[in-house]
Amino acid sequence: MTTIITIALRNLLRQKRRNILLGIAIAFGMMILVLANSFSHGISDVIFNKILRYTSGHVSVAFSRNGNIYRMLFKDGDRMMAIAKQTIPDVAGMQEAIGIMARAIGNGANDNVIMVGMDPKGTGSKKDKEEAAENFKMITGSFKDLTRTDVENPVLLAESKAKSLNVKKDDILRVRFQDVNGQNQAGRLTVVGIFKPANVFMSAPIFLNIHDLKRLGGYGPHDIGQLYIMLNKDPRKFAVTYADKLHAALEPGLAAVSGTASFGHANARAVALCFKNDSVERVLLSDSLKTSAALPGQRLLGRESVVLGAGLAAALGVRPGDTCSLSYRPKYEEQDYVERLPVSAVLAPSKLVPDNVLLVNETRFYRFFYDHWPRPLDSAVLAGLPAKGSLFYNALSPEWILLARTKTTTEMQKQTKEISKLRSSAFTVKVQSMYESASMVVNLEHALNLITLGAVLVLFFIILIGVVNTLRMTIRERTREIGTMRAIGMQKNDVRNSFLFETYFLALFSTLAGTALAFGIIAALSFVKIDAQDNPLGMLLVNGHLNFAPTVAATVGYLILIQLIAVATAYFPARRAARMSAAAAFRHYE
Amino acid sequence: MNIIETRGLKKNYALGTTTVHALRGIDLAIEKGDFLSIVGPSGSGKTTLLNIIGCIDFATEGSVRVGDLEITSLSDRQITDIRLHKIGFIFQTFNLIPVLNALENVEFPLLLMKDHSRVDVKKKSEQLLDAVGLADYMKHKPAELSGGQRQRVAIARALVTNPDIILADEPTANLDSVTGASILDSMREMNKREHTTFIFSTHDANVLKYASHVIKIKDGLITKE
Repeated sequence: MTTIITIALRNLLRQKRRNILLGIAIAFGMMILVLANSFSHGISDVIFNKILRYTSGHVSVAFSRNGNIYRMLFKDGDRMMAIAKQTIPDVAGMQEAIGIMARAIGNGANDNVIMVGMDPKGTGSKKDKEEAAENFKMITGSFKDLTRTDVENPVLLAESKAKSLNVKKDDILRVRFQDVNGQNQAGRLTVVGIFKPANVFMSAPIFLNIHDLKRLGGYGPHDIGQLYIMLNKDPRKFAVTYADKLHAALEPGLAAVSGTASFGHANARAVALCFKNDSVERVLLSDSLKTSAALPGQRLLGRESVVLGAGLAAALGVRPGDTCSLSYRPKYEEQDYVERLPVSAVLAPSKLVPDNVLLVNETRFYRFFYDHWPRPLDSAVLAGLPAKGSLFYNALSPEWILLARTKTTTEMQKQTKEISKLRSSAFTVKVQSMYESASMVVNLEHALNLITLGAVLVLFFIILIGVVNTLRMTIRERTREIGTMRAIGMQKNDVRNSFLFETYFLALFSTLAGTALAFGIIAALSFVKIDAQDNPLGMLLVNGHLNFAPTVAATVGYLILIQLIAVATAYFPARRAARMSAAAAFRHYE
Repeated sequence: MNIIETRGLKKNYALGTTTVHALRGIDLAIEKGDFLSIVGPSGSGKTTLLNIIGCIDFATEGSVRVGDLEITSLSDRQITDIRLHKIGFIFQTFNLIPVLNALENVEFPLLLMKDHSRVDVKKKSEQLLDAVGLADYMKHKPAELSGGQRQRVAIARALVTNPDIILADEPTANLDSVTGASILDSMREMNKREHTTFIFSTHDANVLKYASHVIKIKDGLITKE
């Protein structure tokens, strides 16, 4: 084998010009591959770990109510965060995402802005700090000034926005906007810093501390607008899996409040359940129940109905037309909340419905349920709830409406349109992966990968044509030499292998040279500073530099791939040379 | 004892639409240790006959026995092994491997045999090169050697495996008369010392005086032994 390798290596040096030309072609191809892959991977890195962080997260949970997808709100944010953390433990970051459109008035100038909430502390990690420093190149002030408490609503804005609003550091900016409840609001913001934006997308928004923005926007301290989750593991592999997992974990229970019902001096433990406004099951249940007393002219489970179970009505001494109260301790309040409920009917004893229930129409129920979110039900109450799948269960409303998972952006957009047609006043909860919420961005990465694949194919043909041509010429020139080696006693396989080794070494040296060249070009291009703050593509830069992220696996993979292509291409000409008989080779004359 | 026997050996070549009858029925028996010369004009079939008995070409018809092996029934791998172990070749155009130096060219067949240590291979090759008077040219590439020196390297390469037979196809055709004589002297000396069978083709009458037997061949047939 050593002899064959020696011959192969020396033959490689024999036809220097021809091999150098082919080597340059292979090296150039390898260089293109490494460059394209490093650039594509660098873009992927920016897309998946930077852009998606601010645009959708790898996995996100969006909320809406009353069919208005622009008022993103969920009232039990703590529970959402807890479920998300429990379901996806290995996260790089989990953040609330709130943006509010506003009209900003500066010094004699006004402009439209988007108020975006930032958590200035982030995770506190070094990476977060570096990222903040990268995105907010402060001209005056500091990113940390968002935490200042000595000024009113500290805000950071881009240099161009500060110019259009004619404000400088420490000036007051007035904003007019609609809060999450749909009410017009006004606020005063203090400019604590002006920065040079890293890209054009950083120019339009003004950045507030998330806590200030939530307060201004009408969010309670436990409310949440939208949740972005950044994964630690490869998002391309795990985003959908974790979105599905989180979707399963967010399956809602029945909307129920356990508390004390009162009428006059009488009290009794009761469970308030919420029946759907618009469902076949509600009609079926209504038809199956009998009343012992009811207000005349009203349907049993109508739009305004509050219906008491027979036992509860008896314990309280309530009759239709009376107003009873339900008091309970909300999850985030220190005092009991009392809801007054005008009774429209009392049920006759029934096996379908427990005695201690208060059936409340969902329009009325969700109003107090969401505004005064109840504590979790204890096990005894849970045990008394109707069985899943029963007629009674199906007529009742859930804590929230969990929208079905969608697979594509088109499906997601279709679903979003459907939300506005929902007649329920329950919150909708939607779990999305980046493949639905940011498919444009993900597709950009796919396009770059396709370009790399295209480069591989072009390279394949360069190698194919180059190697085949070179070997044909080589074999023709060395025919008598092949004959000599065969005559001396070299086996066919050894002759074939000597040509394969020759091609392999040519490919090896060329690909190594191509890799070195690619890394040299990467180093040179990375050194170049690009001013693209007014260009949308500036978002793909890191600190104003192109981001190349070569990977060992890809580089080694391409090295092996090219060598395999080269050797495979050489195989058939080499085999043909090996199969030539010594006598035929000796008869060959150029 | 016959080391080579052929019976009814015929070889036809297709040349365009016509068939060339290179050998028309050769019956031959060559004894071990012989120093045999095959003579004949150009195109008489000398090289074809050498190629067939050297196992680098196949007969169209007839049988060839090398030692106790009937080669017409062997596989390519077995025939290649016979060439490596039993036969040495000396070519008219020397046919050295240009990328290997003189020593490496001589070592080459031994390395293909894979049953000698690297040290033995080197030692034996050096001894042979020394024996053919090329001790000072071991590191020279073929292109740096004269014709006579190249042919001596080829002789050393042919002898290095201690073959039973050495086939030489017009070994002196490309050499001047003095060098040619020197080469034939070397071959004769090896024949006497090692009892190696030498079969060489030539159409040079001066060369014939070295041969112990001469076979004349014309138009693919033996005309005189």
